[in-house]
Amino acid sequence: MAQQQPAQPETETSGGVLGVFEWLGTHFIGLFEEAGSQFVDLVTGILPTLIVLLTFMYALTTFIGEERVTRAVQWCGRWWITRYSVMPILALLMLTNPMAYSFGRFLPERYKPAFYDSAVSFVHPVTTFFPYANAGELFVWFGIANGVTQLGESTVPLALRYFLVGILVIFIRGIITEKLTAFMIKRTGRSEVFADFDRQFEQAKAGEKA
Amino acid sequence: MTEHEATSGQDTTATGTESSSTVFVRAGAGGWGPGLTLRADETRTKVLSVTGGGIHPVAQKIADLTGAEAVDGFNTTVPDDEVVAAVINCGGTARIGVYPRKGIPTVDVYPGAPGGPLAKFITEELFVSAVGMNEIARSTSDGEVESAKGTSTAEGDGAPGGAASSGGAVPPRGDRPSASAVAATLPVGGPLGKAFNAVTNVFVGFGSAVGTFVNTMLAAGRQTVDLTLKTILPFMAYVSLLLGIVMYTGVAEWMGQVLSPIASNPFGLLAISFVVALPFLSPVLGPGAAIAQVVGTLMGSQIAIGALPVQYALPTLFAINGQVGCDFVPVGLALGEAKPETVAVGTPAVLISRMITSPLAVVIAWAASFGL
Repeated sequence: MAQQQPAQPETETSGGVLGVFEWLGTHFIGLFEEAGSQFVDLVTGILPTLIVLLTFMYALTTFIGEERVTRAVQWCGRWWITRYSVMPILALLMLTNPMAYSFGRFLPERYKPAFYDSAVSFVHPVTTFFPYANAGELFVWFGIANGVTQLGESTVPLALRYFLVGILVIFIRGIITEKLTAFMIKRTGRSEVFADFDRQFEQAKAGEKA
Repeated sequence: MTEHEATSGQDTTATGTESSSTVFVRAGAGGWGPGLTLRADETRTKVLSVTGGGIHPVAQKIADLTGAEAVDGFNTTVPDDEVVAAVINCGGTARIGVYPRKGIPTVDVYPGAPGGPLAKFITEELFVSAVGMNEIARSTSDGEVESAKGTSTAEGDGAPGGAASSGGAVPPRGDRPSASAVAATLPVGGPLGKAFNAVTNVFVGFGSAVGTFVNTMLAAGRQTVDLTLKTILPFMAYVSLLLGIVMYTGVAEWMGQVLSPIASNPFGLLAISFVVALPFLSPVLGPGAAIAQVVGTLMGSQIAIGALPVQYALPTLFAINGQVGCDFVPVGLALGEAKPETVAVGTPAVLISRMITSPLAVVIAWAASFGL
């Protein structure tokens, strides 16, 4: 504690009891002035762009309509490559957190945990360019980005990498969780139950087509 | 309505061993909502506890008083139409709206209030918060009529809740007065009338397209401003206060001295990512991404003062977030209409997967951050 360098500005104070109160008063209000200026930075720096971007994206998703995306998502669910990359991204961009997970209903039971894991792991990388998709949890990204901005550097290279690495990570995570789910099914002796679920899923799909 | 009143009347006159009775749950200190009246019946027989760590005492008490069965939502899923009420512990923005959206009465043990993307579903009829053991009471005879009303609204809300799943913030087109329907009432006939009709249709079509466009944009704007006021600005206020305190008092620099050796070396970040992904920690660290957001903000302040090099920002983003969504697994799976067996195998699969993929993500991010 002794080596802690005090960051607060040393102000001229008179001695005695009054001096203590003066010191307290200065720093009490100073603390909130600092907090206030941080607030102004956040509001003027992030909010204007964010508001118009959110408005645009909400309108766009309404125009596109959930049905059209639903078809694309169902198509993506068939292959393992798209199931943990395109599918969760589309789900988040269209339905946003937390309703995006409801697209899991288009998958056989055994893939649902992996899809959820994949989708939920993208809710923060997605906020870099599409903050509307998870507007309630912006500060995982904005917190770090704010620091980079204060250094006077552009956040775009970092945002791009966060987004792309995010895609790679949710893909790997989906595959690993899918394998672990299969392992858990075998381990808990539920192979038969899930084989049943698969049959039901196939039947339901055949029923839809007919 | 009369049926409800009749049955609840019977229940209160019956002896103490009756299987179903009415319970009134009011909001506690700092809570939200005028209170809920809950009642079990033939189909609604379960009180869902989605709090983690077994069945919450509040859920147990509601179950005991209504004669329903308390069920741990983390181990099993229950069909929505069997749920009397869901007991949650959410101060964040995600889980808080999931059950009200389905039309299920929701009891929050934290002082939550409508917010987040599902705020519009969190209504006085479906939501009450800051509920402790003392806020749950057997309904008095005064509340009886109210109780019948309460249950019927809850049941009635189930259907529109489901129907709303396909619609966004804009009301479905069918709900708005159709311009062509209005035009069709114009008294015109004959060949001239036909031509007139064709021209009118073009204009009406154009007009209604513009109307749809403007209405959609306006609804999107309203949704945005709602979210900004209810979620984003409050969070900014709280983050600013936190930042102001750590910057002004010098805690930021002190933290930098402690943290930068850990956060500015790949092994330190690997350790963080592994710890947050431990299966007994990750569900606790998850809710509302509150911890990840605070840590993200603090790490940001470290970057701003130069204690943490910018090239470590990317691996840091993954290291502090290995627990993302671990608190939400059963709810997320339930949203995907997963069966109870899937939740039983899926929850451990996700939690174990994180112990592998969370450090792996840090390694990938670290490799990808060269040249930043």
